[in-house]
Amino acid sequence: MSIQNLNTFDPFADAIKSSEDDVQDGLVHVRIQQRSGRKTLTTVQGLSSEYDLKKIVRACKKEFACNGTVVEHPEYGEVLQLQGDQRENICQWLTKSGLVKPEQLKVHGF
Amino acid sequence: MDEDMVFDPSLKKKKKKKTGFDMEAALAEQENTSAEAPAETGDVDVPEDDNLDLDTFGKKKKKKKKPFFNLEEIENALPETPPTEEPEPQEDEVIDDLDLDIDFSKSKKKKKKKNVDELPTEDDVKGEDQENVEDVHGDWIGSDRDYTYDELLERVFDIMREKNPSMVSGKKQKFIMRPPQVVRIGTKKTSFANFTEICKTLHRQPKHLLDFLLAELGTSGSVDGNSQLIIKGRFQQKQIENVLRRYIKEYVTCHTCRSPDTILQKDTRLFFLQCETCGSRCSVASIKSGFQAVTGKRAAIRAKTA
Repeated sequence: MSIQNLNTFDPFADAIKSSEDDVQDGLVHVRIQQRSGRKTLTTVQGLSSEYDLKKIVRACKKEFACNGTVVEHPEYGEVLQLQGDQRENICQWLTKSGLVKPEQLKVHGF
Repeated sequence: MDEDMVFDPSLKKKKKKKTGFDMEAALAEQENTSAEAPAETGDVDVPEDDNLDLDTFGKKKKKKKKPFFNLEEIENALPETPPTEEPEPQEDEVIDDLDLDIDFSKSKKKKKKKNVDELPTEDDVKGEDQENVEDVHGDWIGSDRDYTYDELLERVFDIMREKNPSMVSGKKQKFIMRPPQVVRIGTKKTSFANFTEICKTLHRQPKHLLDFLLAELGTSGSVDGNSQLIIKGRFQQKQIENVLRRYIKEYVTCHTCRSPDTILQKDTRLFFLQCETCGSRCSVASIKSGFQAVTGKRAAIRAKTA
């Protein structure tokens, strides 16, 4: 067993790492909205503008077999819209592809 | 099986004690008590006793009634036990010592058990305190042996319970809420009937909860005359419950100690959660509905703006 006090510890390790390989900063909000009848709409807000959202939406549409668009918003920037309740799908996909860390995802709605 | 194990040592003890003359009177009582509480006797030497010990933790609290008796008897017993050893040289002294130790602790425990049986549980705090001190001392009087883990554990738990009476019940007070009553109105609207009631139990402004609910659900709604909340869209009770849970987690329970006894204050445009239990104060996220996609008829919007 090693002595804990003598371990070298780099206090800046976290800071260096996060600045290196993380494009995404801030929370990504995944929301759901009810439409007419049983239809719903999933929006993904807060993805970093350095990502190409059009490519993301293209991949998502194929993956989840739904339609989707990228909407420009003056305050929130580019927002992804997907048809249907894709909250779980999009969360899994974003983390799996390494675009967003799980702790940065915030799912809203019921 | 347990009982067998337990009975063995006690039997031995009786044998030994009977060799001593003066002890018999005291012994009679001990026998009685041992008969009463056979499950508790083997605490020190039997390894399977962990369970027993744990089970009895709750009881031990109440047991601190008459250690006076205990002490006197033990002190009587202690000087007298050496003579019992002398006339009985057949057994090893080491074993004797061990047995004595065991007897000692046992007699104590038996006493405690007996007390539970006999006495009503209403101990006043003061008396408890006094007795507790004596009890603690009584544990270690007259012996310079190593304390067993069980004894030390028991002791520390006794102390904890004494200082922290709320822990006695063994569980934290749970935050109990009535479930939201959610009823569909027509096909497009949902009514949240006990909305104000829930706000009251949470000690939050109805407006704050309303803002949160509407922002999370991404709809619009209002409180009507019967103090029920009408939300646009179809929602089930489970879904509303889910959102309420999230609200409570973020805006009601203290982030440090998780106590629901908190106050939400607005301070320079930010909401702060002040805990009444632990005194911590931390800022909570502001409620934002964020991006809202167009779900209605675009023509209607155009007509409105134009």
